[in-house]
Amino acid sequence: MNQTLLMARTFLRIFSRDRQAIFFSLFFPLIFMSVFGFVGRAESEPTAIGLSDEARNELSAEFIAALEANPLFRITQGEEAELREQVISGDLTLLLVIPADFHDTAASSELRVVVDASQVRELGLLMPVLEQALVEVERDLRGLEPLFTLTVEDVQARAQNYLAFLVPGMLAFTVMQISIAGSGYNIVEYRRKGILKRLFVTPLEPSSFIGGLVLSRATVCLIQLSLLLLYALFVLKVPLAGSLALLYLVIILGTSMFLSLGFCLGSLAKTQQAIMALGNLVTFPQMFLSGIFYPIDILPDWIQPLAQLLPLSFLADALRGIVVDAATLTTLGPELLGLLVWTALFLLASIRMFVWKEVAA
Amino acid sequence: MVGRRDQPHPCSALLDSPYCKRFVSTNRHSQPMPIVEAQGLRKRYPLPERKGEFFNAVDGVSLAIEAGEIFGLLGPNGAGKTTTLEMLEGLTDIDEGSAFIAGLDVAREPYKVKRLIGVQLQANEYFDHLTVEELLKLFYGLYGRREDPRALLERVNLLDKAKAKPARLSGGQKQRFSIACALVNTPQVLFLDEPTTGLDPQAKRRLWELVRELNRGGMTIVLTTHNMEEAEFLCDRLAIMDKGRIIAAGTPLELIERHAPEPPVRPAHGNLEDVFLRLTGHELRE
Repeated sequence: MNQTLLMARTFLRIFSRDRQAIFFSLFFPLIFMSVFGFVGRAESEPTAIGLSDEARNELSAEFIAALEANPLFRITQGEEAELREQVISGDLTLLLVIPADFHDTAASSELRVVVDASQVRELGLLMPVLEQALVEVERDLRGLEPLFTLTVEDVQARAQNYLAFLVPGMLAFTVMQISIAGSGYNIVEYRRKGILKRLFVTPLEPSSFIGGLVLSRATVCLIQLSLLLLYALFVLKVPLAGSLALLYLVIILGTSMFLSLGFCLGSLAKTQQAIMALGNLVTFPQMFLSGIFYPIDILPDWIQPLAQLLPLSFLADALRGIVVDAATLTTLGPELLGLLVWTALFLLASIRMFVWKEVAA
Repeated sequence: MVGRRDQPHPCSALLDSPYCKRFVSTNRHSQPMPIVEAQGLRKRYPLPERKGEFFNAVDGVSLAIEAGEIFGLLGPNGAGKTTTLEMLEGLTDIDEGSAFIAGLDVAREPYKVKRLIGVQLQANEYFDHLTVEELLKLFYGLYGRREDPRALLERVNLLDKAKAKPARLSGGQKQRFSIACALVNTPQVLFLDEPTTGLDPQAKRRLWELVRELNRGGMTIVLTTHNMEEAEFLCDRLAIMDKGRIIAAGTPLELIERHAPEPPVRPAHGNLEDVFLRLTGHELRE
């Protein structure tokens, strides 16, 4: 035990002096969260619409007023040719041209919508709103009362936005990166430099070496994640719905899972290049398949069941459940089970593969 | 043939030097049991070029080293010196044969053996970001000791480098630091694997002095080298290895008399190293 603590202290001292590694392990997730935090806010901004009023009459003014009253739109008025340019450059989502024959005669008049057809998704959302605005103006003109009205009541169940989705994913992703790098990459480097060999001609027990490395890495990981969490909660103001203690429990579980996986990789790889390649092989697919940046639901159907079973998926789902849905120990059953099973598998594999004599050689 | 004994031995230049060591007794301490003993050591490695085939890196090595000796394993690169040493140290599994240190079976009680020995490896890289002093403290700690590393650093003449990182040390300083790490447990047997390879003459001589000083304190020293001069200077007894086997063993004088009895014409002058040292001085350059 004394040797374990001695090694843990030594590793902590080494890690704390590796400023570059500290910087980059925090830099990447911080940048990601900040960028998407910004994008997330931009999404709720009104859609920019260009309006060219060729009628210039009372009716068109009324129609424009109705659109301007809608918080979903930000209206820019001007000449068609000039606004067209802005649609092309992407400053405007669409351009609405009110024709000169837009007046209150019986004949219906045709409004033209100029768009960049690549913005299909936005159009699908906008067209009904535009039509609704037209219908309202028409009703007004004809003095009709609407047959049905729709009122929306927000239950405020959760503040779901992209940031709240991304932050738990980023936490999970960081746990994976730090842990795999912390065990696997270090082991390979120590072996290559002959440091392991040097340590094992002293009475140091392999279990104390591993114990010390795990203890120190877990400590570092918890400190780094606490910093990320503070940033997410207090700077990006992502609300935490569930329990902080449970969040940490899951983080510790995830750390042990990926540290064990790192030891497996470190035992397989003989060189620094090999461990980098192996590490990428293991982390990249999970980065894209485990619902870190987007939900697993949008992946092709056939891959979803597999993606759900990835170690990082369990970790990200559990963390997201706690942050967003206030999940508890009981509701997190499947995720926790998944984490435990993977941890046990990686642990067994790393013990089997970790040949001590070979590690030293 | 008779007159040969009157001729000065080619080693006489060395014998006159302040670094001389008399190659006389093979068993000064006359203990009944050797402190290092190996019987028929064998180590098999797979042949890299032919799959499924093996070669013996060490092929039946037996040796007995008495306490207080400086014992040298000589041989060209790839002769099996390092592997032999690593089997004695418990770093490499012994495929066949047995090794004992101070009566302890290396294969059965490696942890007890590790407490008795000090090891300096060929590669001497250490953790980044730790100073010489911190690393020594770590090594002390691994033996359950809590001592001030400064005394040890003073002994290997590195006190002024206590706050330096090992990567910043010169070749000679690195080797002395590496020996300091091997001394933290005041070992009975010190293993040195090519301790002077790559050192300049000044650093080499300084290291020889250190080795002999440690030996005078009663420490048994086992070293590998492919430097004949080093073997002659330092070793009480030698074993010459080639292709995994010991092909000759004895004191340097015995070996010379047995295998090179015809001395060359007495050299009229010193060798190039003497010139180098005369011109560049004996003090260390670091």
